[in-house]
Amino acid sequence: MSTINFAAREINFKIVYYGPGMSGKTTNLKWVFQQVPPNRKGEMISLATEDERTLFFDFLPVDLGEVKGFKTRFHLYTVPGQVFYNASRKLILRGVDGVVFVADSAPNRLRANAESMRNLRENLNEYGIKTEEIPLILQANKRDVQDALPMEMIQAVIDPESRYTIHEAIATNGTGVFETLKAVSRSVLSRVVAAG
Amino acid sequence: MVEPAIALFGAAYEKSVTVLDDLLRESGARYALLLDRKGFVLAHKEALWAPRPPSLDSLATLVAGNAAATQALAKMLGEPRFNELLHQGTTHGMYAEEVGELALLVVIFDTSVPVGRIKLYGKRAVSALETLTKDAVVNPAKMGIDTEYRDGASALLDELFRN
Repeated sequence: MSTINFAAREINFKIVYYGPGMSGKTTNLKWVFQQVPPNRKGEMISLATEDERTLFFDFLPVDLGEVKGFKTRFHLYTVPGQVFYNASRKLILRGVDGVVFVADSAPNRLRANAESMRNLRENLNEYGIKTEEIPLILQANKRDVQDALPMEMIQAVIDPESRYTIHEAIATNGTGVFETLKAVSRSVLSRVVAAG
Repeated sequence: MVEPAIALFGAAYEKSVTVLDDLLRESGARYALLLDRKGFVLAHKEALWAPRPPSLDSLATLVAGNAAATQALAKMLGEPRFNELLHQGTTHGMYAEEVGELALLVVIFDTSVPVGRIKLYGKRAVSALETLTKDAVVNPAKMGIDTEYRDGASALLDELFRN
């Protein structure tokens, strides 16, 4: 849950990008890092293997600015997508305020998307959180791949009840990256207000 | 269940900073930080003689990740927990210890300082900080974020993430 530091007058939120391996979670963060002005971001940390696969997590702090005297910051994390890194994935979800699920539009990744969503549910469950209780935004990334899966098909496997908003994205050129981040951030803010 | 948050402010915050300050003075360490387990800095202090510390956000995030991974390892080995983390390099060392269930104390020191001294004063600080953080746990629903705050933040989102 969000952390308020009254002494430093800061409110911090933790947003985690989740999804199958190679779906573009790190690419989303890299785009944000490239576009946000230097005075509004911290350094980006990537704990990755030599071939740039996320090993533990990527981290990027973004300063939204001051609201009602409080500096508001979003800490963006990605998890490693590969199936065998589940232990690390679970750790990153601790204290999460909002999740962006980055699905892969490549035709051979339908099952991987479904399995990753199931894994997200299981891991949140271990912290006693149900997916319905947490702000969750879906992103169908790589819309530019050949024979990209239809949006309805992706949503049908990861969100059969059409409960969540799904955004189209091509993270390599930034399409949909900010829309997704804004959507999850707004959702997180609304939830905190509703809780109060 | 949503994890409780620690909101350190007022007298509790001042006391925490004093504990960190005493720790630095008595142990001879460079930097002392109190973090929550999610990787957010709750309080920090630098020795007067120490140069500017590295990015505190990055430091906190990595230490929290490291501590979480260490606890997962402990569980795999059938241990309830590994109490402390110690890293020693050629010129700097880092010592981290749990402060109750929700926080961590991190001490960065020069390797010229004996590790035993860091641990001794570190553990003393932990016991003082444990009480302070326990009393500062708040229900997330009572953090006082209202619709005015949400609308202000929402406007800033548009300004920062304009396409």
